[in-house]
Amino acid sequence: MYGFAATKLNEFEQGKISRRQLIETITLAATTVGAAGSAGAAPAQVGVTAAGINHVSYNCPNFKQAADWYSKVFNLDQVGLKDNEVTLPFGKKGEQPYNVTAKDVPLTFIIMRTRDLNAPPANGAAPRPKATNVVNHMAYTVADFDSTRVQAELKSLGVENIRAAGANAIHMTDPFGYDVEICGLANSAITDGA
Amino acid sequence: MERFIADLVRSFESGKIDRRQFCEAVALATTIFAAGSAAQAAPARGLKMLAVNHVSYACSDYRIARDWYAKVFNTKIYNDKGMGRANLEFGGPEPGKGGSFIITRNFGNNEKTARAVVDHICYTVANWDDTRVNNALKAAGTNPTGRKGSVNVYDPNGYQVQIASIDGENPFI
Repeated sequence: MYGFAATKLNEFEQGKISRRQLIETITLAATTVGAAGSAGAAPAQVGVTAAGINHVSYNCPNFKQAADWYSKVFNLDQVGLKDNEVTLPFGKKGEQPYNVTAKDVPLTFIIMRTRDLNAPPANGAAPRPKATNVVNHMAYTVADFDSTRVQAELKSLGVENIRAAGANAIHMTDPFGYDVEICGLANSAITDGA
Repeated sequence: MERFIADLVRSFESGKIDRRQFCEAVALATTIFAAGSAAQAAPARGLKMLAVNHVSYACSDYRIARDWYAKVFNTKIYNDKGMGRANLEFGGPEPGKGGSFIITRNFGNNEKTARAVVDHICYTVANWDDTRVNNALKAAGTNPTGRKGSVNVYDPNGYQVQIASIDGENPFI
């Protein structure tokens, strides 16, 4: 963008474009440059570069009950309902993920599932190993985070076990006892645990 | 934005700012504009979900998970004080602008109480190319399996990690 602005300024100074054209072209470029895609997202030779989290696979005894709770608390639509799962995208069809400009990055979503993780894969793939770790909570960023307001909102929605965790985060428990954290944008890899 | 640019041009013409300052201000304004204003868009009821903030990953030795995710995903590491946890930032939005990270941490006391489990996380890779992604994952010491636009690997704790393109995993396809 720096180079583009310098070029246009040169053209203006040389009389090639008018003052109005200078303002309009820079305004247009500045407001659409975010849609230009991200060449920097190409994977490295060793390992890959993630452009973001694609989805979270959440497995519980009653996927629809979980989906309804997350839909209520986070204003999420439900799409692709099947016998044992449903998908909750973080936005509407056609929207971009928040602050992602690359066009080939989908909205993040949660898949609510009820399935036997020990069942052999139907496609003949190798069985899933027994994991020795656990994802003990998920944290989600929400808009316009204010701890007091969010806590009041959660109480009004009937959410249980609400606990403030500093100024930028709140923990709560979902219907299946899973720990869910809500954060403002200020909570990041740099600030969390600093 | 147009008014801001017009003011900048006026300041440049009047000599209040030089060429470099003009161009820097345009570049900065572009970045800020691209950040959007969704943070102001909280709904009347419930909360507006913007992104995953972080994944809290507990295991017996956080350093093994830290090193594996750092290698496979080329992540930056923050706040590793040798105290049983580290933050690994992914690409995409910057920290504080909707970016996501994993906290790898040693087991605490409350990991086994829920009746639900996050059985895997899937990560999006932009500019997807099946051959390139598979080769990059193999070069990082993993054994990817899967289909066009989506592969799975297992981390050192046997946890499923999926990596997909926009076509491989998309809520609307």
